[in-house]
This record gives sequence, structure tokens and C-alpha cells, in this order.
Amino acid sequence: MTAAWRKVRVLFSTRFAEMVEYRAEVVIWMLSGTLSLVMMLVWMAQAASAPDGKVGGYTPAEFASYFLGIWVTGQLLVVWVAWELDMEVRQGTLSPKLLRPLDPLWEHYAAHVAERVVRLPAMLGLVALFAWLAGASFSTEPLNYLAAFGLAMLGFSARFLYEYTIGLLAFWTESSTSFQELVWLLYAALGGMFAPLAFYPQWIQNIAAWTPFPYMLGLPAQLLAGKASLADAGRGALVLGAWLIVFWFVRLAVWRLGLRKYGAVGA
Amino acid sequence: MTRYLRLMRLFTGATLSAQLEYRANFVGAVLASLGEVGVALLGIGVLFGQPGTDTVGGWTFHEALLVTGFFMLTEGVISVFIQPNMSKIAEAVRTGSMDFTLLKPLDAQFGVSTRHLNVLRAGDLLIGLGLIAYAASHLTVTAGGLAGAAVLYLSAVVIVYCIWLALSTTAFWFVKTQNASELFNGVFGAARFPVTAFPVPIRALLTFVVPVAFVTTVPAQALTGTLTPALALASPLVAAAAFVLTRLFWLKAVASYTSASS
Repeated sequence: MTAAWRKVRVLFSTRFAEMVEYRAEVVIWMLSGTLSLVMMLVWMAQAASAPDGKVGGYTPAEFASYFLGIWVTGQLLVVWVAWELDMEVRQGTLSPKLLRPLDPLWEHYAAHVAERVVRLPAMLGLVALFAWLAGASFSTEPLNYLAAFGLAMLGFSARFLYEYTIGLLAFWTESSTSFQELVWLLYAALGGMFAPLAFYPQWIQNIAAWTPFPYMLGLPAQLLAGKASLADAGRGALVLGAWLIVFWFVRLAVWRLGLRKYGAVGA
Repeated sequence: MTRYLRLMRLFTGATLSAQLEYRANFVGAVLASLGEVGVALLGIGVLFGQPGTDTVGGWTFHEALLVTGFFMLTEGVISVFIQPNMSKIAEAVRTGSMDFTLLKPLDAQFGVSTRHLNVLRAGDLLIGLGLIAYAASHLTVTAGGLAGAAVLYLSAVVIVYCIWLALSTTAFWFVKTQNASELFNGVFGAARFPVTAFPVPIRALLTFVVPVAFVTTVPAQALTGTLTPALALASPLVAAAAFVLTRLFWLKAVASYTSASS
């Protein structure tokens, strides 16, 4: 137990030190994810010009709350591990890591969590500024924040695992980063980055309900905006938990197959 | 002049044969292009999919699709012509291989701007042109409008090139510039919608501070014949000013270049 705890502490503190070095980049990465902000502005203008001041039951202020919620949640869900694995496999820097008595997965996971901590202060400052400028208002229920954060953490872990699996495709193909782009599209569309999920055609909503995406992005945003209940959060957590287990085993299977292939070419 | 054209043909041939070596990358490029167009179409698809929505920012669906077409076309221009070159400037400064470019009896800016080409993303160009043609077939487009759009789009490409070059030129001082282009991509994402679809204060920002409006909205307006003469004149003027300014900036950067070892 203490040995495991020491591993966690060392992993986290070294990755944290590394991420603090990159703090300027972290702020820039944060600012470059603007799609939800662009969609927010367009929907706000759209609602403001509608005859009753609403589109799909949302006022401009409600759009602002929803999309800022999406932006914040999206910040907590950022994962770049596929890109790093692609590099490590291609350049062979994965090999020395295989000698360590620790799955390389944890090193990447710790780096992502540490980056989140570095990201937090600037993120909260920016969202407060945006909320003030756009006139957004957030839920006053403390439990909603806790639930949204919990869902975002589950969602982040699920996303980390499936992105990790995509990154492992680098053992077989050079196109793993393109697969990543396609999966990002699913995540953004079904997660609700373009519009609240209720705005989509019914059949897309029915499909989305079976995927993890609406629960990791749209649901936390709705909780923050005060538009979803804790019961919804509970259901979302169950679905995410189930997906987490599926992704864990898929990742493990792909990792084992990939290592065999990696060893076979003599790297 | 003919010497520069001949060089461009040589560069193109060299990068083409280098890239076609890797056939697996082709699949990846097609997937990435599909992803890009998916994002662009979903964005306006959901907006117009709402019951009772006929226009967004005063633009009908096919007019807005025109803007999306110009957006995709520009994404293509960036990934085929601009980014492959610009991303190598920082590397060349860091490793010192910029020395070779500067020593050649050839304008260095031309050299760094035309040497590489990512033909694999040419699909984006086709998708963009296809979307523009499809949208235009549902609108009344005059020959004059077409010519105007072509000229204004040329200014748009110059503006985009200048912004990228200016960002990449900072590599001479900061070494790392990848993040600056990341930031540009973020702001450029706003160009997928007509500029009138944004709240008023943001419109001014997108026209005058980061001239994104000139890249997609203005050429689309020229095609539909709704362009005001002031904007039609402003676009080439902004392009010319941007070109002169980045040229001066580039020359200043090269003058202060001290190679990698010093």
C-alpha cells in the first residue's frame, strides 16, 4: 500500500513540476479551444434576434450559461495522450519505459491530472470574466458543482482511456492522429458542443444516449447552468462507469496485441 | 520572375514525390478532411435545423453554406500551402538550418514560403470548392460577382499568409511558435459563420482586430452581390498593408538572426 502511495506521489509531483514549466503554453492551449465560445456567441445573437428573444426555449443568457459550462467542462476533459503515444511508438522512446515496473499509462495519466491543476486558476479567472461579459449565471446549488466535477472526472478518465487506445493504433498505422480527429468530432457533436443535445433531431439523441459523450460534456454543463437534476447526474455516472470498464479492457487488449507487434519488428 | 516560377515547379515536384512514398498517410488525410468538413457542416446544420429558423445573421442557408465553403477552402489553403512551410521556420531557426536558406541566391522569404507542400490535404480544397459550387447553384450569381469574389478571395489568402508568416517570424526571437499558430486556428474557427451571425461588438473585433471577416464573409458577399463598396475596397487594402508590414518584419528578423550556435 505504502509503495503504491509513494509511486503515486512521485509520479504526480514530477509531472506537476514539468507542467508548471509549461504554464504559458497551458494558458495558450486553453485559449485555443474556442469552438464552444464561437457557438455561444452565434446562438446568443440568434436568440437576441428571435421575435420572442428565445431559440428552443433558451434566452441569450441561458445560452451563455450552457456554453460556458461546456467550455469549462471541455477544459477538464482535455486529453493529448494519443498524440504522445504516436510519437513514442514512432521514435522508439517507448522501449525504455517498458523496462519499468509500472504501466506507462499511469505516467501519462499523472501528467494530465497535474496539468489540470496548473490550468485551474487561469480557467476560473477566464470563466468569471466571460460570464460577466456574456451575462451568464450559474447554479446556486453546491451539490450541482460537486456532481458536475465528479462527472467530468469520470468523463476525463473514459476519454483518456479511449484516446490512449487510439494512440496505441500507432503500432499498426500512421493515421492514428486522424482517427483521433474523427473521434473528436463524435465527442463534440454528441457531447453538445454545437448546441444543447435537445436541439438535435430525435434519432441522433436516441443514439447519443447510448454513448458516453453526452454525460461527460453536456450533462456537467447543464448541471452548472442549473438545468439538470442530481438524478440525471446519477444516471450519467452509471453510464460513464460502464463505459469506463469497457474502455479499460479494450485498452488492455490493444496494448497486449500492440506490444507483441512492437517486439516482433525488433524495436 | 520566370526563375521563381520554375523554382516553384521544382519544389512542388520534389515534395510530391517525397509525400507519395507514404501511402498509408493518404487514408489518414482523407479521414482528417472528413472530420473537418463534418465539424463545419454540423455547426451550421444544427443552427438552421431549429424550427422557425430561416436566416442566421440575415443569411439564408445556402448563403451561409457559401461561407462554410470558403472556410473549408481556406482550411485547405492553410494545410496544403501555408502550414507545411511556416511550421518549419521555427525548426530551421532552432537547428541552424536557416543558414542554408539565407545563403541561397534566392529571396529567403520566397524560399521559406514555397519549399514544402502537403498534397495529401488537397481534398480540403476540393471539398471547399464543391461546397461553394453547390451553394452558388441555389443562388443567383452574376459573372461580375464571380470575378469580384475571386479577387477578394485572393486578398483573403494574402491576409491569411501574412498573419501566419508574422506569427512564424517571431521564431527568430522566441524559438517556439507552434502555440501562436494554435491560437490563430482558434480565432479562425469563427470564420465558419458569416460575421453578422455574431453580436455587434464581436463583429468589429473579427473585422478590424483579427481580420477574419475578410477571409470568408467578404468573398461570399461578393458572390451574392450584397457587398458594400467600402468593404470591397478595404479587403485588398488590408491585404496590401499586411503584406508590406510582414515583409518589413521578416527583413528585420533576418537581420537580427545570429545562427544557432551564437
